[in-house]
This record gives sequence, structure tokens and C-alpha cells, in this order.
Amino acid sequence: MKDLISYIAKALVDKPEEVGVTEIEGEQTSVIELKVAKEDLGKVIGKQGRTARAMRTILSAASTKIKKRSVLEIIE
Amino acid sequence: METYEFEGKTDEDAIMAACSQLHLTRDEMDIEIIEPGSAGIFGLVGGRKAKIRVTVTPKRPEPPVEETEIPVAEDLSRPSETSESTTVVTEEFMAGEDNGGIAAAKEALENILALIPVEGTLVTAAQRDGTINLNIEGDKSGLLIGRKGRTLDALQFIVNKIVNKSLERRARVVVDSENYRERRKDFLIQMALRMGDKSKRIQKPVATNLLNPHDRRIVHLALRDDEELSTKGRGEGILKKVVIIPKKYSTSKPAKSDV
Repeated sequence: MKDLISYIAKALVDKPEEVGVTEIEGEQTSVIELKVAKEDLGKVIGKQGRTARAMRTILSAASTKIKKRSVLEIIE
Repeated sequence: METYEFEGKTDEDAIMAACSQLHLTRDEMDIEIIEPGSAGIFGLVGGRKAKIRVTVTPKRPEPPVEETEIPVAEDLSRPSETSESTTVVTEEFMAGEDNGGIAAAKEALENILALIPVEGTLVTAAQRDGTINLNIEGDKSGLLIGRKGRTLDALQFIVNKIVNKSLERRARVVVDSENYRERRKDFLIQMALRMGDKSKRIQKPVATNLLNPHDRRIVHLALRDDEELSTKGRGEGILKKVVIIPKKYSTSKPAKSDV
């Protein structure tokens, strides 16, 4: 799950070395925190949050697969 | 794709202005009416200008491609067209375009699928007229399609972003699975025709659900040749409704009557 977001984020930003993803696992839900360079924030959020929404959609498909809930938080 | 905004006394005026300034005919652009405009009382007080947004897809040497399976000149109201995706593979190299994009697109999608993780899927790629078609085979569960194709659209969006980041020239990537795009198109055309009939019968505008630009385009095109109807986009943002309006209705009661 973490690797999925990390891969997508790294492919989107200009500074992939500054992408950091942490996964906080709960019993049913895990929170995935995505951190990117300040200049790249717009790239992972996108126009009207479109990129962020697409990532969340893919994440929820992946979560369905392993029967767990995950939420994506983009940390500023 | 380029977007412009135009103003005019009425939406017709705005469209005319758009046509003359961009040197295009009406059919060559995607018109969305932002504000219908109103003449005000006796054309004196409270008149508002009509505002439209025009989206122009840049022309390619070949017939303009929005969606590969649909040659644009073709009449969309006939849903019975056959999928061309089978012939696409052979044309892969005939297109003579750089294959850097196609490899990058395929790799990006494969990587994402591997991380989801979905097993036993195969991505086939083909390029035609500058559009890269990726087809995911083997997802029988429909997991990758999602409700109303949302997951498929999300994958497509992300892969587009990734590919166009590394490429200098913009490429369009279409992601499909289990022939979903074709099925969705047929469904939308049927829905458009049904709603068009309803609109004519009750002589009132009928609105669709919120649709993405690609789906809206299918609805607009499906009803383009119906002389008794006109279609308009309504709403803000990426998702909008398409309002199907009987022509007689809009002339007898202009402005805001569809709200």
C-alpha cells in the first residue's frame, strides 16, 4: 500500500528523493501519509485536487483487494 | 487542448464571436455555456452578458483524435460501430511515432498494477494517431474498473500524468479493461437518446447525472444531429451535467428556465 503511493508520487514529482511515505496501521484502517517537497505539493494534489483524488481512488481499489480501509493524507 | 472564454449579448452571439476569432466552425469546438445571459427588462435594466467556454482540440494531420475508437467524423448516434482495438496492434509501428511514450505508459501501468497488487493481468499497448491505448486483460472481478469506471479513470489520469511528465510532446493515454470504454459509450448513447425522447415528449429540459468531459462529449455528439434538441453543459468543475433542451422550449422561454 505504502509502496503503491510511493511509486505514484515519485513518478509525478520533480524531486523524487524528497518523497516520504509512512503508513500508520490501525486495526481496520491504515493511514498513509505522503510527504513531498514544497514545490511538488501541487503536483501530487493537482488541479482541483484531481491527482490526489485519483490516487485515493486507486488506493481504495487496492484496499478493497486486501479487505482493509486506507486513507491518504498529504502532509504539508 | 486549449480553452477560451467568450462573451456576447446572447450565447449565440458569444459562439459566433468564438467562431470568428478562432477561425473554426461550431463543430470543431466544444462549447459550454457558463452563463446563458439575459436581456433584462425590456432590454434595458439588469441585462447580463452571456458567457461561454470553448475548448479546442488541436488538429492532427490525421483525423482529430479524442478517443481512438471513435473517428470523429463518424456519426455517433449509430451505436453499432465495431471496436477497432483489434486492428490497432498491427498499426502500432505504421503510425511512425516515437514509441518512447508507449513503453513508458505500459511500464507505469504495469508497475501500479503490480503494487496494488493484482495478479494475472496482462497489459497490452498500442499506439494510433498519437493516442496510446492500454488494455488490461485478466481482471475478471472488475476491481480495476470500479463504480462507473472511476478506478479505470483514476489509473488513466495518473498514467497520463506520468507519461506526459517524461515526454516532451503530449501523448494521450487511454486505459481500458474488459472492453469497458466501449460498453460505457454504448450505454451513454442509449441514455442520451432515451433522455432526448423524454425531453421532446414532455417539452422540457432534461438533465443527465454529473459526467466527466469525455462522457459529456459522447452525450453531446449522440444528440448533435437531432434538430429538435440542443445540448448544453451545466455546472462548475470537471464534472458537469448535460442539459438536453427541446429547441422550441428554449426559443419560447429563454434564459434560466432550465434551472
